[in-house]
Amino acid sequence: MKRLAQKVEFCTACQLCEDLCSKTYFKEENREKSSIRIEIGEKGGSSIIACTQCGVCMEICPAQAIYQDKNGIIRIKKELCVGCFACVGFCPEGAMFQHHEYLEPFKCVACGICTKQCPTGAIFIEEVS
Amino acid sequence: MIKVNGEDFPWEEGLTVKKLLEKKGYTFPTIVVLINGLSVPENEYVSTIIPDGADVKAIHLVAGG
Amino acid sequence: MSVEKLKEKHRLLAQFQYIPGKVEKGYANRTLYVNLSENRIAEKPVSQEMKEKFIGGRGFGLKLLWDGVTGNTKWDDPENEIIIAPGPIAGITQYPGAGKSYVVSLSPLTHTVIDSNVGGYFGSLLKFSGFDALEIQGKAEQDVIVFIDGVNGTVAIEEASQAVVNSHILVEQLTEMYAANEEDKVNVSVVSTGAAAEHTLIGMLNFSFYDKRRKAVRIKQAGRGGIGTVFRNKKIKALVVRGPRIKGDLNHPADKTLLDKAGIKLHKEIATLDNSQNKMRIGGTTYLTKIMNDYDILPVNNFKFGSHPAANNIASDAFIKYFNLTGHDGCWYGCTLSCAKAINAFELKTGPYKGQKVLVDGPEYETVAGVGSVCGIFDPEYIIENNFYCDTYGIDTISFGTIMAFLMECYENGIINKEITGGLELNFGNGEAAMEVLHQMARGEGFGKIAGLGVRRLKKLFVEEYGADPAFLEDIGMEVKGLEYSIYLPKESLAQQGGYGLTNKGPQHDEAWLIFMDMVNNQIPTFEDKAEALHYFPMFRTWFSLNGLCKLPWNDIVPANNRTTAEPAKIPEHVQNYVDLFNGVTGMNITKEDLITQSERVYNFQRVFNLRMGFGTREHDQVPYRSMGPVTVEEYESRQERYDKQLKEKVGFDPEGKTTEEKIAVLRKYREDQYQKLCDAVYKRRGWTENAVPKLETLERLGMDFPEVVEVVKKYL
Repeated sequence: MKRLAQKVEFCTACQLCEDLCSKTYFKEENREKSSIRIEIGEKGGSSIIACTQCGVCMEICPAQAIYQDKNGIIRIKKELCVGCFACVGFCPEGAMFQHHEYLEPFKCVACGICTKQCPTGAIFIEEVS
Repeated sequence: MIKVNGEDFPWEEGLTVKKLLEKKGYTFPTIVVLINGLSVPENEYVSTIIPDGADVKAIHLVAGG
Repeated sequence: MSVEKLKEKHRLLAQFQYIPGKVEKGYANRTLYVNLSENRIAEKPVSQEMKEKFIGGRGFGLKLLWDGVTGNTKWDDPENEIIIAPGPIAGITQYPGAGKSYVVSLSPLTHTVIDSNVGGYFGSLLKFSGFDALEIQGKAEQDVIVFIDGVNGTVAIEEASQAVVNSHILVEQLTEMYAANEEDKVNVSVVSTGAAAEHTLIGMLNFSFYDKRRKAVRIKQAGRGGIGTVFRNKKIKALVVRGPRIKGDLNHPADKTLLDKAGIKLHKEIATLDNSQNKMRIGGTTYLTKIMNDYDILPVNNFKFGSHPAANNIASDAFIKYFNLTGHDGCWYGCTLSCAKAINAFELKTGPYKGQKVLVDGPEYETVAGVGSVCGIFDPEYIIENNFYCDTYGIDTISFGTIMAFLMECYENGIINKEITGGLELNFGNGEAAMEVLHQMARGEGFGKIAGLGVRRLKKLFVEEYGADPAFLEDIGMEVKGLEYSIYLPKESLAQQGGYGLTNKGPQHDEAWLIFMDMVNNQIPTFEDKAEALHYFPMFRTWFSLNGLCKLPWNDIVPANNRTTAEPAKIPEHVQNYVDLFNGVTGMNITKEDLITQSERVYNFQRVFNLRMGFGTREHDQVPYRSMGPVTVEEYESRQERYDKQLKEKVGFDPEGKTTEEKIAVLRKYREDQYQKLCDAVYKRRGWTENAVPKLETLERLGMDFPEVVEVVKKYL
C-alpha cells in the first residue's frame, strides 16, 4: 500500500504543501483546510503531520464511515459520517482534521499532489507492504 | 503521629507516600496527595518521605456511578 | 412467524400525519400526545416559558405529567402518563454522552412522580422526527405498538396482540419490521419491556439501538421506579421511532464550533487518559466493584457489610474476559467513553431460553453488585445470566437485587420459610433460587409474584401475614419512599445517607454520590459543608437530566490538570464544557451559576409534585437504619474496632466492658441524631422549611411560583 512519507530534516517549512492540499480539495489556499500540516517548533525545526494510514480511526468510528480501500488508503464515506469527530480526538498522529465549515472530518489520502511540488523532497509517496 | 484527611495516623521512620497509601488501603487510581498543602506528583510517591507531624491529604477524585 | 407475516397482523387503530419540520437550536418546539383509550394522536406546541422554566428532558416530563394528572391519580389509572423526553442538547454527536432520554411517570412503587434515565437512540430520533417529548396517556384495549415515522411524518397506533413481549426478541423483530432496509436499521429505535413487567411493580423499559458492528439490536434500560409496569398496564408492547439519518447538525445549533471544540477536547482526553484512570473503554463501569470493595462500601448480604473476600471473583477482570470489545461501545454516536459493553453468544443455563446463545448487554456495576454481592453471590456467570433475563423480562436489576437481598435476610432470620417461598431456600448466595424467583416473576406465579411487590409492600405483608417484627423489617428493608436502594453502602458517610434519603424520587445515586468526598477525603466535615454538597451536586446532576446528557463523561474521565484546580470534585473544566454545549446549541448565554438555577427550578417543582401527590415532606426523607449504621450484633462485631473508636472519639462513650447491644443502641442514637441535623442543614440550604417544603420565597426567587404550585405548597406552610 502507499502512504505519504517524510524526511523531516529536509523540510524548510515553506508550507507550499498545505496550500496545494487545501486548494485541491477545498478550492482555497487555507492551511486550516489542509490534510497535511507543517508545525513549526519553538526552536525553528518543523514537523510534518499527515496520515500514516494506520486505521485507528476506523476502529473508533461509531458509524463505520471509515474504511480502507484496496490500495490501503483509509477513506471516509461522507454520507455515513455522523460528524462526531471521535476520529479527530483519537488519531495518534493528530492527522485527522476538522473545520467548522464542514460536518465531516478530512485526512490525507496519499494522492501525492503535494509531494510532486515539494522543493526539497521532504515529503514523498512510498510503497509499504 | 500525622494527620491523614484530618484523622490521626501513626507515623513511622521512612514512611513514603506509597507506603501510606498501601497502609490506608487507598487503591483508587487517581488520588491527589498533598503534604502540608503541597501537591506530590504521582511518580514521586515512592521516593517522597512524609515527615512526622505532617498534614497529609489524600483526595480521591471519584464521584460514583 | 416471519416478520412480514407479523407486520400484516398489525391492525391500524389510528393514524396522524404531520410535517416533520426542523429542529431549531436544540428544540423541535412541539411535543407528541398519544391517548390510547381514545386512539387519539395530537401535537402540542412548546412555549417559550416551558423552555425557560423546564429546559427539556425530565423538566418537560414533569411539566406534561403535572398537567395530565391530578393529586388523586393512581399509577394504574388511565390518566397516568409515560413521558419520554430527550432535552435540547440530546442528539449532538460531537460530545460524549449526549444521547440520553428521560422517562417520567407516576410510579407503582412510590405512588408519586418518578424519573429514570436511559441511553439508546430513541430520544434523539424522536426529536429529529419532530418532537421534544412523547406523552402517552390512556390505556389500550388490546396490546398496541405506537410507531412514529419521522421520515414520512406519520404516527400510528397499531394493534399488535401477536407480537412477543420479551425484549430481546421483540426489539430484533420490530427493528427488522420498521427499518426500510439494512442500512436504515440504525435509524430505528424501540422501547419495550418484558413479561415480568406485567406481574411485578419493578418493570423497566428497554431502549434499543442498532449496533452495526455486531449486526445486532442492543438495549439500554430505564430501570428505576417501575415504569415498565405502567407501560404494560397501558397495554403497550412497544414504541417505535424511525428517524432521519443522523448528521452532526440536526439540532441546528446556534454555534456548532463550541460543540466541535468541546467534543474534540474530550475525545482527546479519553484517548490519552482513560487507560490510566477508570479504563471505561475496556471494562465499562465494572471497574467500580473492586474500588467499592477496597473501601468497604460494596453492599454485601443486604447491605450488612461493605466488602467480601470473594468480591475479586466479580471484579472487572472477571467480566472483561467475557466482553467482546469494539472500538465503539457507546449507546449514542460519539460517545468515546464507550461503557456500553456486551457479551456475545452467552449460553443460557436456565429458563425458557436455556441452551440458546444470546447477546447480553452489560453487566454494569450496579447490576454486578445488585444481583451479585448484595445477595452474597459472587459468580460472574450467574450475574450475566441474571442480567440477561432481567433485561428481556423487563425487570430493574437494582430493585431485583435489593429485594432478593431483603428476602434472603428475612429467610435466614426465619421470618419467611420454605413453606412461604414454595420450597426455595433463599439463603444468601443461593443464585439458583434467586434465578427461579426471577423466572417466576416472568410467569407471574409463585413466590416471584410476591417478591415483585417490592421491599415496602413485602415488609407490610410479612408483618400482617407472618407476624414479623415491624421494627426489624423497617431497619433492614432497604427502601425509601417505596423505591429500593441502588447499590452503594452509605453507612459510614452521613452525606451519602442524605444523598439517598433527601432525594425527590427515592434512593438512587444519580442525585448525589458523596461517599468519597465525605467518608474518605473528609472534605465536607461540617453539617454546612455537607448541606452545600447536597445542594450543589444534586442540582448539577439534575441538569444532565434536563438536557439529555449522561453523567459519566463529567467525572469518569478528568483532565490531566484537574487535580490542581480549586475544586477538583466539581471537574471545573468539564462544567465549562457543559456551559459551552448549552450555549452552543441554544444560542443562549448562560453561566455555570445559571446552570444550577435551571436545575433548582425543576428540582423544586418535582418536590412540590411529590407534595401534591401526598408525599415529599420530612417524614418521607427518613431512611432505614441499615443505611446509617449496624442494625445487628453480627454487623457491629464485624467492624467492632471502627465502631468502638467512634463511640470513644465522636460520641464520648467508653465502650470498655459494654455489651454489643448497649453499644449498638448508643451508636444508633448518635447517628440518628446526626441524620436529623443533616436534614435541617440541607433543607435550610435548599430554601425549604424544616418539613422539607419549598418556601414561597424560594419558589418566587426561581420564578416557579405558578398559582397551582403555590396552592399545593400553601397547605404545608
